[in-house]
Amino acid sequence: MATRPSSRQGASRRSIVVVIAAAAIVALALVAGALLLRDDGGSSASPTPVVDFTGIPQEGAVLGDPSATVRLIEYADLQCPACRGYTEEVQPTLVADYVRPGRVQAEFRGMTFIGPDSETALRFVHAAGLQNRLWQLQEALYRNQGAENSGWVTDELMRDLAADIPGLDVDRLFADKDSAAVTELLAEDARHAQEDQVSETPTLMVQIGGAEPYKINIGFDPNALSAALDDALQG
Amino acid sequence: MSDRGLRSAALLVTLAGMGIAGYLTWAHFADQSVVCVQGGGCEKVQESSYAEIAGIPVATLGLASYATILALLLWDAPVARLSAATLALVGVFFSAYLVVVQLVVIDAVCIWCMANDLVVAPALAVLTVLRLRS
Repeated sequence: MATRPSSRQGASRRSIVVVIAAAAIVALALVAGALLLRDDGGSSASPTPVVDFTGIPQEGAVLGDPSATVRLIEYADLQCPACRGYTEEVQPTLVADYVRPGRVQAEFRGMTFIGPDSETALRFVHAAGLQNRLWQLQEALYRNQGAENSGWVTDELMRDLAADIPGLDVDRLFADKDSAAVTELLAEDARHAQEDQVSETPTLMVQIGGAEPYKINIGFDPNALSAALDDALQG
Repeated sequence: MSDRGLRSAALLVTLAGMGIAGYLTWAHFADQSVVCVQGGGCEKVQESSYAEIAGIPVATLGLASYATILALLLWDAPVARLSAATLALVGVFFSAYLVVVQLVVIDAVCIWCMANDLVVAPALAVLTVLRLRS
């Protein structure tokens, strides 16, 4: 014989429904908050370069005096917020204290693991490298970094950024970005990354003379970079 | 299973969740890379704009939630059991969102984040049984 549920069972079921509904509402509020408060990186663009490369020699992806025996190799994805942080926080010290005085060379190697905008940006950057202006363009891109894979690396943005870099031929930049030479540079970066077992960005490696490069971990701390480079210069 | 066994299981799962969320939080603030399988999925997820809410790392929110559940488990009053189960249910819903974001939006899987997202499910199951018994 069927029986009616007791009032206690009914209250218990109601409380379960209330709990589930309350949890769903809180979770929905969290998701909405997460989406609304998401930092897509597009609002912090600065019109002023944070690193001064004026007068420093460049050859392709290498910045600094070619006779310097210590080289700092940077693996970076131009869409990676941590790489932007490194560029803003650490690169000024690297360039002012080590590269400009001719003590250290810096080499940029690009990775494209975040997505299509990474490859587009890297193509432009290596195309700028063909005119020995790679470092200025990577810095400008980080300053104007947009949300990942949102299509932020537009021709319009690149034309604006390139136009602000003295000595960079913008039309040639656009012609070169899809060239076989730039495609080979991307492939070369990927080969190096595989050989050096790089799986994250930014990854920094120090090379002394022709010795095997070794990884250093400095976070966003310019003092840690100075310590690592001073150590390499003494060794 | 006895009530004591259930509480032990709940404590174990909660501590596991705290361990994973704690590791991810430490990696974030110490600016260290998490140990990950080859392919860069962890970095891609951790560095994405979905890894923080208003500047607070999602892993830290997870750590705070697990710590709260742990405190409620130790309190062990009926209202604490109800609160712990409710919090775990919120965690399951939010984790489902995070899993979808990883698989569909970011298109990368961070094994630690995934473990952090998934460990809340057994926590919810045990905490629900505990609540229903009280």
